[in-house]
Amino acid sequence: MATEPADVLIVGAGASGGVVARRLAEAGFRVVCLEQGDWHDKAEYRGPELDWELTMRKQWSTSPNVRGLAQDYPIDETDAEISPLMYSAVGGSMLIFAGAWPRMLPSDFRVRSLDGIADDWPLDYQELRPYYERTDREFGVSGMGGDPAYPAGGEDPPLPPLPIGAGGLKVARAHARLGWHWWPEPNSILSVPYDGRRPCVQRGTCQQGCNEGAKASTDLTHWPKAIAAGARLVTGARVRRLETDKAGLVTGATWLDREGLEHFEPARVVVLAANAIGTPRLLLLSASPAHRDGLANSSGLVGRRLMMHPFANVGGLFDEDLESWQGQFGCSIESFQFYETDERRGFLRGAKWGLAPTFGPINAALPSRAGTQVWGPDHHLHVRSHLGRGANWGLFGEDLPDPANQVALSSTLTDTSGIPAPEIHYKVSDNSRRLLDFHIEMASQSLKEAGAHTVEVDRLMRYSGWHLLGTARMGDDPTTSVLDRWNRAHDVPNLYVVDGSCFVTSAGVNPTSSIVSLALRAADHLVQTRANQQVPA
Amino acid sequence: MSDVLDRFDAAPRATLTALAAHLIPAAHGMPSAGDVIDDRRLRFVLEARPDLLEPLRTALGTGLPEDPAARLAVLERDEPDAHAALLLVVVGAYYTDKVVRERLRYPGQEAKVLQSWKYPVYLEEGLLDGVQARGAIWRDPTTGRTAMEARPAPAAPAERRA
Repeated sequence: MATEPADVLIVGAGASGGVVARRLAEAGFRVVCLEQGDWHDKAEYRGPELDWELTMRKQWSTSPNVRGLAQDYPIDETDAEISPLMYSAVGGSMLIFAGAWPRMLPSDFRVRSLDGIADDWPLDYQELRPYYERTDREFGVSGMGGDPAYPAGGEDPPLPPLPIGAGGLKVARAHARLGWHWWPEPNSILSVPYDGRRPCVQRGTCQQGCNEGAKASTDLTHWPKAIAAGARLVTGARVRRLETDKAGLVTGATWLDREGLEHFEPARVVVLAANAIGTPRLLLLSASPAHRDGLANSSGLVGRRLMMHPFANVGGLFDEDLESWQGQFGCSIESFQFYETDERRGFLRGAKWGLAPTFGPINAALPSRAGTQVWGPDHHLHVRSHLGRGANWGLFGEDLPDPANQVALSSTLTDTSGIPAPEIHYKVSDNSRRLLDFHIEMASQSLKEAGAHTVEVDRLMRYSGWHLLGTARMGDDPTTSVLDRWNRAHDVPNLYVVDGSCFVTSAGVNPTSSIVSLALRAADHLVQTRANQQVPA
Repeated sequence: MSDVLDRFDAAPRATLTALAAHLIPAAHGMPSAGDVIDDRRLRFVLEARPDLLEPLRTALGTGLPEDPAARLAVLERDEPDAHAALLLVVVGAYYTDKVVRERLRYPGQEAKVLQSWKYPVYLEEGLLDGVQARGAIWRDPTTGRTAMEARPAPAAPAERRA
């Protein structure tokens, strides 16, 4: 049991928690982190093993409801059209993320001003750019500078791009003929040795953990440095609620260990980094007579405006063997050809495309995400036509904020500690459906131009809630936002939220690069304003 | 230590063989799953995925049609979890077999050495030249229009190699 309060208590040891812990510990803060999951060893990941495609569907599923591990909490998603995906561990969901590392674009920060919908952010691209560059270096990003989808200038990615593979080359040639944008995808996956880590071996199993340590995750990139600088990381620690004093300041967290014993960790400042489901869950669990609707919730927006990026997969099948089971499961190439708003298309905003590998024979043999299944003698032809001969465009459509899409507390479902589970209410908007329809049509055209003889479409994948955003948005007005422009709760001056909850709008890109850059910016602010930080008496 | 296959006697084992052969028969130079899925392969799948054991037992149980096609149709309609488990067991056992993988020319997820020093073919072919020549495509928030930005001309391959 701690007696001396930590300078900063972080809840969650994933992407944003790791970045903040390292920055603050290296600046001399006494940092404690509570993480409900555990450390994983690279040798545990199943990518090189024969059972890889079997265990990816259960023990290494991206869905906590499918895995059902003790360190997971269940999610009531009965009223959700997309299932939220995450992983509880040191390194968090980075252990199972793909590694794609695009930045948001300038227009993403000004959606209200440009398109008359949603909201503007309280900062812009240029303000965030130095943090993008710093986190690129911290995580080790491979890519190529000069992409005209982004403003010119600034630092290029620190490492050369990863290969684009035979499928990527086919599609790149097609885009050259079509006059469409494409670019080698930036990935937080090493193309060369870097910072004591080994480079990618193109195994294509990134989403079930990287055996090489080539894919960045904070258990490799940040926590060892944070701990060396004095941070204390407690695993198997499930936070039940945050406590507050009469002045309305947060005083620490009550948590349960693996045996169910309750502890209290006192702190001067608390930073939530538990993702956009876990963070609002914890704020709502921290309701008290002084905060009847949950902590930091005078705006009523805690848990609301959940965004998860409706996702479509458009797969092309080719005559040639592309060995498409190999390659980084970040992406090989990307396209921003149709990213910016064009109202003539019948919807607002757009989507980024990323081209991904296609898994192994079990995936080729089972009923496809597009619903195709072939049994009997022709099964063999079906498998031969799919295995290694595909290229998949993944389409991330911008998800506009809607207060009705929300995280609430379940009145019936609990985790293994008896703590109420989150309950998700989420519907895909008409704008998102029209957006995906258009992009599916364009991505199909891309693949046909590349020579695909067949295009298979999964129009709206249920298990695609990788990107959890928006449930404690930033803003300058305390009546319409939960956090200020520095990720600090308007209502609680010593409480910060640094995960994807802070997003004002979702953009149409993979968000981890932006999440960690915003977290680093918030940590810098904590360091710079340390002398003026209000703390409990 | 108990063997996971102790939960299967001869009858469900024969049913599995018939269903596997129906789903994946010998054809196009590939063997039948009914022949490939022996005790070793079945044990491998169920040890990797012990959660499949009970739904598989349901799929192979009595009270369902003996005819494989009819049984699969009933399972798909009435017992979708058992049906999905059966498919995964059959496919998982078949495609982890050495001979099957060799015939597919699928070596597994291999570790390859990245040749980062090699000049990418897409640069050699100038596939990014047009992208760069068309210029900025991002929307400038200050004007609402596509940004007007001077970009350096694409470098020739020889310059890039330098």
